[in-house]
Amino acid sequence: MITGGQRFVASPPAFSQDGKKLLVCTGCTVSIYSVSTGMQITELEGGHTDRVTSVVVVPVGAPSSKFMSYCWTSSLDGTICYWDFASAELIKKVKIQFPVHSMVIPSLSTIGSTEEGSNLYAFLSVEDINKPASEKKALHGQVRIYNLKNQKPVGGLLTETRNPEILYASKNGEFLGISNKRKLHIWRIPANNFRFDEIKKIKLHHTKKLTCLAFHSTLRMVAGGDDTGRILIWYNFGREKFAQNLQNLKGTKNPSDEAKPGVRNNDDVDSCTTWHWHPSEVKFLHFSSDGAYLYSGGNEGVIVVWQIDTGKKKFKPRLGSPLLYFTESPDPSLSCVSCSDNHIHLLKMPTMDISKSISGIKPPFSFPLKHEGSCTQVAFEQTTGLVAVSTEDYCVQFYSLFDNHEVSEVQVCKRNFQPADDVMLYVALVAISLDGSLMATIDVTIPEEKLGGLVCLKYWTRGSLVAEYLLSTVIYEPHSDAQVSSLAFRPGHNMAVTSSYGGDFKVWVHGSHAGRNNESMQRTGWRCQSVGSYKGKPLTAAVFSADGSILAIAAETMITLWDPDSNILVAMIGDTLSPITKLSFVGKSEYLVSYTHSLKPQLSVWSTSNLALYWSHGIVTEAVSCSHDESQFAVLALLSSPGDADAKGNGVIFFFHVEDPVPVATWTVTKAKGGSLAFLPANPSLHESSATNGVNQLLLVFMNGKHEYTIFNPHKEENIISKNSRKSQAAQDEAERLGYTSIYGDLSNSNAKHNHFQEVPFAPSERPWETIFSGSSHALPPLTKLCTSFFESLLEKRLENSNEMIIDADL
Amino acid sequence: MADESKPFFPVEKAHHVKPPPPRRPRLNTQESRFWRCFRHSELASGLILPVTALEFSPVAPFHLAAACSAAVHLYDGGSSPSLAPLPHSPLSGFSDVAYSPSFRCDGSLLAAGGESGLVQVFRLDKAGPPLRRLSAHARPVRFVRYPRLEDKLHVFSGGDDALLVYWDVPSETQLITFPGAHRDYIRAGSPSPTSPEVMATGSYDHSIKIWDVRVPSSSNAILSFSHGDPVESVLFLPSGGLLATAGGNVVKIWDVIGGGRLIHTMEGHNKTVSALSLGRVGNASTALGGGEPRLLSVSIDGYMKSFDFATFKITHSMRYPAQLLSIGFSPSGNSRVVGTSNGVIYMGMKKKLLQEENGTGSASVFDGYAPEPKKQVLKPTNYRYFHRGQTEKPRETDYPIKRAPKVKLAEHDKLLKKFRHREALVSVLSKKDPTSTVAVMEELVIRKKLLKCVANLDVDELGLLLRFLHKYATMPRYARFLMNLANKVIEMRPEDIQSNKHLSKHVGSLRRRVAEEIMIQRSLQEIQGMISPFLIIAGR
Repeated sequence: MITGGQRFVASPPAFSQDGKKLLVCTGCTVSIYSVSTGMQITELEGGHTDRVTSVVVVPVGAPSSKFMSYCWTSSLDGTICYWDFASAELIKKVKIQFPVHSMVIPSLSTIGSTEEGSNLYAFLSVEDINKPASEKKALHGQVRIYNLKNQKPVGGLLTETRNPEILYASKNGEFLGISNKRKLHIWRIPANNFRFDEIKKIKLHHTKKLTCLAFHSTLRMVAGGDDTGRILIWYNFGREKFAQNLQNLKGTKNPSDEAKPGVRNNDDVDSCTTWHWHPSEVKFLHFSSDGAYLYSGGNEGVIVVWQIDTGKKKFKPRLGSPLLYFTESPDPSLSCVSCSDNHIHLLKMPTMDISKSISGIKPPFSFPLKHEGSCTQVAFEQTTGLVAVSTEDYCVQFYSLFDNHEVSEVQVCKRNFQPADDVMLYVALVAISLDGSLMATIDVTIPEEKLGGLVCLKYWTRGSLVAEYLLSTVIYEPHSDAQVSSLAFRPGHNMAVTSSYGGDFKVWVHGSHAGRNNESMQRTGWRCQSVGSYKGKPLTAAVFSADGSILAIAAETMITLWDPDSNILVAMIGDTLSPITKLSFVGKSEYLVSYTHSLKPQLSVWSTSNLALYWSHGIVTEAVSCSHDESQFAVLALLSSPGDADAKGNGVIFFFHVEDPVPVATWTVTKAKGGSLAFLPANPSLHESSATNGVNQLLLVFMNGKHEYTIFNPHKEENIISKNSRKSQAAQDEAERLGYTSIYGDLSNSNAKHNHFQEVPFAPSERPWETIFSGSSHALPPLTKLCTSFFESLLEKRLENSNEMIIDADL
Repeated sequence: MADESKPFFPVEKAHHVKPPPPRRPRLNTQESRFWRCFRHSELASGLILPVTALEFSPVAPFHLAAACSAAVHLYDGGSSPSLAPLPHSPLSGFSDVAYSPSFRCDGSLLAAGGESGLVQVFRLDKAGPPLRRLSAHARPVRFVRYPRLEDKLHVFSGGDDALLVYWDVPSETQLITFPGAHRDYIRAGSPSPTSPEVMATGSYDHSIKIWDVRVPSSSNAILSFSHGDPVESVLFLPSGGLLATAGGNVVKIWDVIGGGRLIHTMEGHNKTVSALSLGRVGNASTALGGGEPRLLSVSIDGYMKSFDFATFKITHSMRYPAQLLSIGFSPSGNSRVVGTSNGVIYMGMKKKLLQEENGTGSASVFDGYAPEPKKQVLKPTNYRYFHRGQTEKPRETDYPIKRAPKVKLAEHDKLLKKFRHREALVSVLSKKDPTSTVAVMEELVIRKKLLKCVANLDVDELGLLLRFLHKYATMPRYARFLMNLANKVIEMRPEDIQSNKHLSKHVGSLRRRVAEEIMIQRSLQEIQGMISPFLIIAGR
């Protein structure tokens, strides 16, 4: 069994301490990606059973421990795990009774290293599951403190909120904050000898709902974003409340009566400024590590870089979808931004060019209600195991099911995507021919008060690369202004059919005909070969048989069979209770499967030899897929009726043999609404065993409504298909150039001799002066810190040498 | 690492596939820089009649002779900013049109033919009647040439009577005559640069013949080959082994020593090539004999082309606004003149001529030692100091980093980017380009803003929109969209339209267009009604 298509952007990712790896929460696992290649290296699995909500990487203190790579992860299943992510091993597991929505460990950043004996305090935003969900007003969210060393909770609740909020900690670990409705709660955490009763709290007020906040890296400054797009910056918060000793408190009270510009409710801040650029909710705020800039982003997909002193703006536009999180790496030239279209873009920092993208499968988008019936978002390419997903930004994304990464993206409509409330232009239908050489798309522009609607059929041919498609023909309004209901390619021919609700279907052929005179270039393209209709009824579905000899078209309740070459009506089969939604031929057999979607749902199997209904079930069918060789098919059925409003979306996959109305096998699935099914040939590299058996068994893919998918073998009950080994894609970690060398290249090795001389008395592995000074000058640790480690390393060497000398002397 | 974020898509109608932009020639070759350093002017413009020949004197100061109507104009090649007419110019001893002036090798005499058939020899130092009058031709003489080497006594002439004569000028006698040298008009010829006795002639009978006066007169030409078109111009290339001939719209290069073998055909011109000349490309300081030689050709298509006969490539081409008939390139390399059929002589004078000549010439003459020119150190007081390094070219070892190409956006695209929808619509309506206007309108539909825009237009802008609608609403490509829009506009803004005279006029014309369209549709339906039964019968 292979699973994939997880959401990468459900929670913010984290960089490893050397800035070469990115830890991404993918469902109940954490995937580790190489920053230089954008490919997955390993996956941390087995620790959590529910969605991972946050990752905290343990920072590296001394340079000697540079290769240590540990992280804490929290999950909704109420556990916190401690991993060694270099070797993908689970080290420790801490049980907490509540689902953890967010976790920060502020003390990690101050101590710098995990010294033995000191306690690690994790601040958790948990959901109180004891309170019933029906109480809408109850305070479900809690902020708790947990000691990870002895695995015990510390103190009581810090606060309670309506919903579990995301926790933000300042870089030095001194402050912790959440946004709670129209307030910011900020706590000051004592840095050393932590005691619960020393935690102090202030509140900052605003008039709109606050969505995110960020602490300045050095100054006492906090920025908050609200859902109208305003960014508020409070300067010097908590001067009175967080003052060190209580004696001073009285003395400083008097100056606070001075005017505090922009401050509401007499909050404990000096001043507050407001910036407004975003038209809608601010999704993230982030102060740069040098503290000069503030990054903000939101729904409109633009990163705004604010210069804090002047308020001047710079923009990084056209990221393609709403932004969610912004994460900076320890390497100042790299950061990443998570987009809601399941992409994580790695940005080269000062210029903000995208250097790599970690791209997951794009999430489904909602079609306008009126047009929902005639849309398929997903098409499968059988030969290479790709799935084509139509996306919100007018693209078709090709995603490799076996490898679980994006292969390519085809821009169907050349238009700049702007996130908007209602979709006006969308890719409605995608069809790929059986061998994958042809693709057809239909994009629909919804008219503005019956003005300017357009249906556009586009044919694409495959280019030289895998899943690279080039536009071949554009046909505007293929069925005048009627909506196209289905689109199908004829197997083995350059022929396609479109059917419309307007009552006609068109057969398209690909022809090349020379121009009028030979000099003019040869014109190749798709043209309409024939047009047909059946009693003027709306045609709801069209499909070719597996050998391409018969064209079946559903005219509402009737199924009509046509000869596609001569366009002659051969036979009719009828009829169902309500209009047929989808038709499919079962392999090479003479049977047809159809299902209807309306109030009287029905799954029917028709025989084309005696033109009659063979058997039928009254189940709500969401998708049907037929294998191409065998006479079997799979049906995805919903457990609820279509009129059911609060359907949970649980469903069942039935695996039928066409001769038998009793299913061969069944599986229950979740989120079946909007799901799809397909048979795929097993990837030969994966299944050498089945290939040697001589039977190339088909695998079944189930993709649920959130575009997460599972591939399994429908024939064997417990066949666990080994995960595709991604070791081959692991990054070849070449020596990354840092600091000086990244700018000026390698120094010429003029003192090679000198080095050689040094290597004799010293062990080659420990030369900290090579590493501790790397990095940009303003990011270097203070000199005192550098000096001690430098001298320490020297001292160690002397000790070893002296020991040897003593031994020598003894001898 | 390329930036993988999406490009900006300007709104454009996908109906309209743009052709790829034309390939622009590379302008920054050394050759083009050389040709660009000429200052262009008109030397003479009031001559009206065609300038049939331009000839530079072979010795300094390289006077120029131009044959135009019944005179030969002389210009002083030594005058500095531009060529100036000599005091005794023009030479006007001609009874009819003058043709083909030719300088003697020492530059003191000039021979010229004429429509009358008379060849006359003039002196150049002062005005006066012609020194000698050579009469043998019965028809116009279009070809008169002194030999190029040290031969001051003889001259060749050829005429439309197909007669080629070798004259002894002092005695005005015909040393050798070749009656019937060609079977058609002799219009071109060139003396050999290596031998004073050898001459090549070209004729309208397509043939080129090489003559040598040392062989007996009774015999024919020593070499003859066919150009394939009437020959307009013949020119020996400096080695004397190659011959360039112009005829039709091609220039051919022949190997004379190898027996008249065709080496190369240059097909750069679109119309008849009228004249050829030799030129030198390179620095002005190496004027005499320096620089790379080029063959310059002019054609009546108005182009002058520079042809490198070492590599057989056209290295430069220049366009003039008239038909070109003649060309001359000064041996000093400082000026180039082109004569047109409407009596204009275009001149190009090399810029910065003076200081260079002064700088190099004087020092080398006196002591043979040329001091290296001092490299001027730029100081911050100098204006150029602040521009230093801007024209620096990358060396081979350098790794140039290309700046990302700037995206050029139309006005409406910029406004759409800023979500200023009404301004975008108005800006594209005033451009009067229907495809982009419809594209902007469709974009506005996708943004659900078109109707709001229409509602917000003021009266003038509404007038623009109505004018656009009445012009294009019935065009089949846009009709489906624009007819609906026209309906909406009239529904939404009835008061404005009724109150304003201009707007109601637009609506009136829109109504007429719609009525016309309905008529057309009706007649098309009639035709369809007539044809469809036939089609159904044929289908059976």
